[in-house]
Amino acid sequence: MATDNHDTVPRAQPRLRILARKDVLAGLMFMGVAAFGLWASRNYPVGTALRMSTGYVPRLLCWTLLGLGAIVLVQGLRRVPSAAATPDAAAPAASGLRPAVVVTASLVAFALALETFGLVLSIALLVALASLATRDLKARETLAAAAVLSLLTWAIFVFGLGLPIPVWPDW
Amino acid sequence: MGDLLGNLATGFAVALTPANLGFALMGALIGTLIGVLPGIGPIATIAMLLPLTFHLEPVSGLIMLAGIFYGAQYGGSTSAILVNLPGETSSVVTCIDGHQMARQGRAGAALTVAALASFLAGTVATAIIAMLAPPLARIGQSFGAPEYFALMVLGLIAAVVLAHGSVVKAIAMIVLGLLLGLIGTDGQTAAQRFTFDLNALSDGIEFAVLAIGVFGVGEIIANLARSGESRSLLAKRITQLMPTREEFARSWPAAVRGTALGGLLGVLPGGGATLSSFAAYVVEKKVARDPSRFGRGAIEGVAGPEAANNAGAQTSFIPMLTLGLPGNAVMALMIGAMMIHGIQPGPQVMTERPTLFWGMVASMWIGNLMLLVINLPLIGMWVQLLKVPYRFLYLAILLFCAIGVYTISNSAFAVILAAIFGVVGYIFMRLECEPAPMILGFVLGPLVEDNLRRAMRISGGDPMIFVERPIAFGLLIAAAILLVIVALPAIRRSREQAFQEG
Repeated sequence: MATDNHDTVPRAQPRLRILARKDVLAGLMFMGVAAFGLWASRNYPVGTALRMSTGYVPRLLCWTLLGLGAIVLVQGLRRVPSAAATPDAAAPAASGLRPAVVVTASLVAFALALETFGLVLSIALLVALASLATRDLKARETLAAAAVLSLLTWAIFVFGLGLPIPVWPDW
Repeated sequence: MGDLLGNLATGFAVALTPANLGFALMGALIGTLIGVLPGIGPIATIAMLLPLTFHLEPVSGLIMLAGIFYGAQYGGSTSAILVNLPGETSSVVTCIDGHQMARQGRAGAALTVAALASFLAGTVATAIIAMLAPPLARIGQSFGAPEYFALMVLGLIAAVVLAHGSVVKAIAMIVLGLLLGLIGTDGQTAAQRFTFDLNALSDGIEFAVLAIGVFGVGEIIANLARSGESRSLLAKRITQLMPTREEFARSWPAAVRGTALGGLLGVLPGGGATLSSFAAYVVEKKVARDPSRFGRGAIEGVAGPEAANNAGAQTSFIPMLTLGLPGNAVMALMIGAMMIHGIQPGPQVMTERPTLFWGMVASMWIGNLMLLVINLPLIGMWVQLLKVPYRFLYLAILLFCAIGVYTISNSAFAVILAAIFGVVGYIFMRLECEPAPMILGFVLGPLVEDNLRRAMRISGGDPMIFVERPIAFGLLIAAAILLVIVALPAIRRSREQAFQEG
């Protein structure tokens, strides 16, 4: 199978190292998912080719994914170059951590709050939490955004479309 | 021919009702809006609005969603030309010469040419759909389970070949999508698969939840991680919209070439708007008498790709409408929209629901006409929108993602699931694993399994059935050839070049 077909980055040399690391990670990810799938489906009846049962296709796909993951991994390992690393090209892994955590937290909070606390408070919660993802937002702007978005959401979804979403807490 | 006119008349009768005109306009407006705004694309938007279409007539919902898709092609060129930021990936090449034209004070001309080229392409592509769809659907109706299985395999492989990046990774993403699609209750044995005793998973993962998570939420995380906004808006007021006579003479042949190329590439599985625009730019550079003008404001470099991306966007509806085979992620979403209404996509849609099919085709032309009006005289309004900073935008997008997911099934679990897929989507982006093939796999997963099982039952468990049935065999051979081709070093290199051009 192809070994160097991801040079979509024009300046190939300095980035090769990162690409390689990405492939190693991606390969491990695929293999991990496949292994997990095989474990989860260990008790599914497989059946025969004539009468494929519950487990036939899933296990077939898991084995395929395991193989593909291994190929990606090997490609990644084989491509580790001797070229000097460029720290600027390698974005620090932490930069994505904050938005990932904050965005996830705000969605989970919104989901858990919506049915008990109603739309307005949940939106305030989501906006407040999500605003932590960037340092650009001032407190005043966050408040304004929460107000405008509450009004807009209410107008579109509750008033306009008549969806049964509680607007205020039900006590 | 008489048939065609009769069909189109049926279509226009549906598309011209006030309600459907309204939905076409709404789709065109939303499409232009998200096309102009970088950071949100048609996939995430259509996924967000998918649950809402449940409350509409099927044809109205599809008209609106289609409008968003091709509207985004128009809007994307605006931000490409004025800000040098592609609003959509399909406008990446428009940046090159379009923005140079804007710097030379020709922003108005570039915008006009982009809109006119898109309109030409939209008109021709609508005609192509109307002419090509009925014969294709007739072929599709003769297909049995083995042929469908082979067709889906070919579609998935082609999606890999035409996607950029690593081929192995793309195939792995498809397999991952196929696996995700199997989560839930097995349709044939009623056994639970990969549900881990969670009741909420027994009906499988809702398609919109996956799409909103991976494309909507994942995109937000990626944008926030990139941080640092820098947008230089050129030309606060666009004064002269008319291109000069010379510019016009240069653009129309380019627009015709782009339309032809885009119309062709759009039909291929995995093709569509982005690939078409890249290919058109390469072609324009090749046929130009003086290729050195490209990159310095050559108007052909705007007209060709802009025509191509719109043509490609529209003809990619053909395999979806006639065979039920989605060629790209947006078409997968359209299939999801049909399924919400209990419409099984496939060749029978055209015969069983002629008003739905032809109404949608007719609305595409109407929508393109609307877009011409929306984009040219109202350009100032869209320019204002570009001034909305991302720090406000992401809050709104995030909230609409959350509410969109919640309203699908009134379930908080779905929102949490979307949040998880958001993180997963971000990880995919970091690892350069394109999520679009996964979405295709996800949609086709249950269908592939179903058709494979049925084919095996027809043949009595003998895989030779795929060799003995000529159409199925031909399709599988085509898939194999594609795989071999993409692995050949020479072709691989030129494929990389095509995606790098510019």
